[in-house]
Amino acid sequence: MVLHPTVIANLLASYISSFMVLYATYYGAQILRHWNIESGDELQLILERKTYLISTVLSYVFGLQLLSLFLYIFTADVLCPLFVGAMCAAGTLNVNGFGYPTLVLKVVNFILAGLWLVLNHADNQGYDYPLIKKKYLLLAFVAPFIVLETILQSAYFLGMEANVITSCCGSMFSEEKVSGLGSEIASLPAQPMMWIFYVSMLCTLACGFFFYFKNKGGYVYAALSMLMFLVSLVSIVSFISLYIYELPTHHCPFCIIMEDYHYIGYLLYVLLFGAVVSGIGIGALMPFRGIPSLEGILSGFIRKLALTSIIFYAAFAMFVTYEILTSSLVISYEVVY
Amino acid sequence: MIELVNVRKVFNAGNPSEFSALNSVNLNIAQNKVTVLKGPSGSGKTTLLSIVGCMSRPSAGRVKLNGREITSLPERFLTDIRRKTFGFIFQQPNLIKGISVLENVMLPAYPLGEKRSSLKVKAMQGLAELNIASKAASKVEWLSGGEAQRASIVRALINNPSIIIADEPTAHLDTKLSYRFMEIIEKFKSEGKTVIITSHDPLVYDAAIVDRVVNFRDGQIEGES
Repeated sequence: MVLHPTVIANLLASYISSFMVLYATYYGAQILRHWNIESGDELQLILERKTYLISTVLSYVFGLQLLSLFLYIFTADVLCPLFVGAMCAAGTLNVNGFGYPTLVLKVVNFILAGLWLVLNHADNQGYDYPLIKKKYLLLAFVAPFIVLETILQSAYFLGMEANVITSCCGSMFSEEKVSGLGSEIASLPAQPMMWIFYVSMLCTLACGFFFYFKNKGGYVYAALSMLMFLVSLVSIVSFISLYIYELPTHHCPFCIIMEDYHYIGYLLYVLLFGAVVSGIGIGALMPFRGIPSLEGILSGFIRKLALTSIIFYAAFAMFVTYEILTSSLVISYEVVY
Repeated sequence: MIELVNVRKVFNAGNPSEFSALNSVNLNIAQNKVTVLKGPSGSGKTTLLSIVGCMSRPSAGRVKLNGREITSLPERFLTDIRRKTFGFIFQQPNLIKGISVLENVMLPAYPLGEKRSSLKVKAMQGLAELNIASKAASKVEWLSGGEAQRASIVRALINNPSIIIADEPTAHLDTKLSYRFMEIIEKFKSEGKTVIITSHDPLVYDAAIVDRVVNFRDGQIEGES
């Protein structure tokens, strides 16, 4: 199992990320402790040179981190024929106790890595390293999560047993099952959830446009984009999946990444994650608009983030609407089994 | 205009071959003056010039340009300063072979995105001022030493820099061409530019237009004359 190419790719990516993040955190700690831009000391000049290397390395590492979420899901999906009971990634992730915790960490790390990249890009725009301490503080916060993810992921892949009979997504994301987060979300009524999704999407987009054109309400949009991200994830399980599968009882959020559904899941998730990272990135950068070396530059970058987030959420809503409108499924009443 | 504070430059630090090229150099270079850094080979003149011109970074110390600290600047900001503030004239002309004199002269201006037609006019004016307009279409391999030196001077001026840095500019010129070069420096001065020259050629540091001569030895300032 561990020799499967995708598993090797996952583990390799994870070990490289962890190693490089630990290396960068070590120098980041030195920067946090000794950085003094006013000083011309040898150490300060060494740190100034070192920060180029670390920033460049971390840009690639966190870029890899973003991709690794999708690689992980893809791996879980391609491994499912190897396990009895697994019909898609949902079953593969359930073969031992580390699959889902790793996935949760990957989602968290995707957002944190995205935020670090946003902060790093903003820092690179200023001539006096205006956000250097902030970005290395964030790195010190992110590093334990990345390492923990590597440990959990290793435990997951190395602990896979082929003789384990796992659960299929039909039972894990079922309205019938009484316990489990997946089933609880699946049992949310589809039509009210659809209303919640569209109303909150409209509010998010309206707030986004208001911020983009009036430059007001940045924090509100950042909070709304986070909320919209959660609402969208719940909506995928609750009703979007039903329309894609054209089945009133199939709520799996993983089957949508399969070839049978034209890999639409990847597109939806990329849009969703891109939207949330750029959305909350706005909130992360808002406090630094007054820094003299970023004046005029940061506002432009924040507006670009806002536009990116709006476009991604709007595209997500469009694809979801397209799937609903072209689906043969009609939900006119709540199906109760 | 340019202020150097405790500048040190160590090559191969921590290795057996460690060499300290500059040791705690403090220097102020005034605007619109011709300053000559004089000293024997290996005294640190060129190292200092490369630090002032943002081509390398010191191991310790700071350099301020018009009151703004520049040694800590990220590379892309340094590139911008280098491109717009400094014009470099090297010991060798360092022209690119295979392309014409005109192309060589226009090359440093390409990243700034100026319209090619206006850039060409500017380059031709520069070549005409130094009497080599007739060589504009010639390949650089066909130029004499003096012509190549003048072409490199026009190239250094194409972005209209406020500071001209010349590293041993007369080392490969005969006496007549060296005098001609100093006339060009005089013209720069009259145009309000700041000129910094490294040289151990008496023809340069004894010239009337030179405002200040800073003596270097073993990576330190020995005095002024």
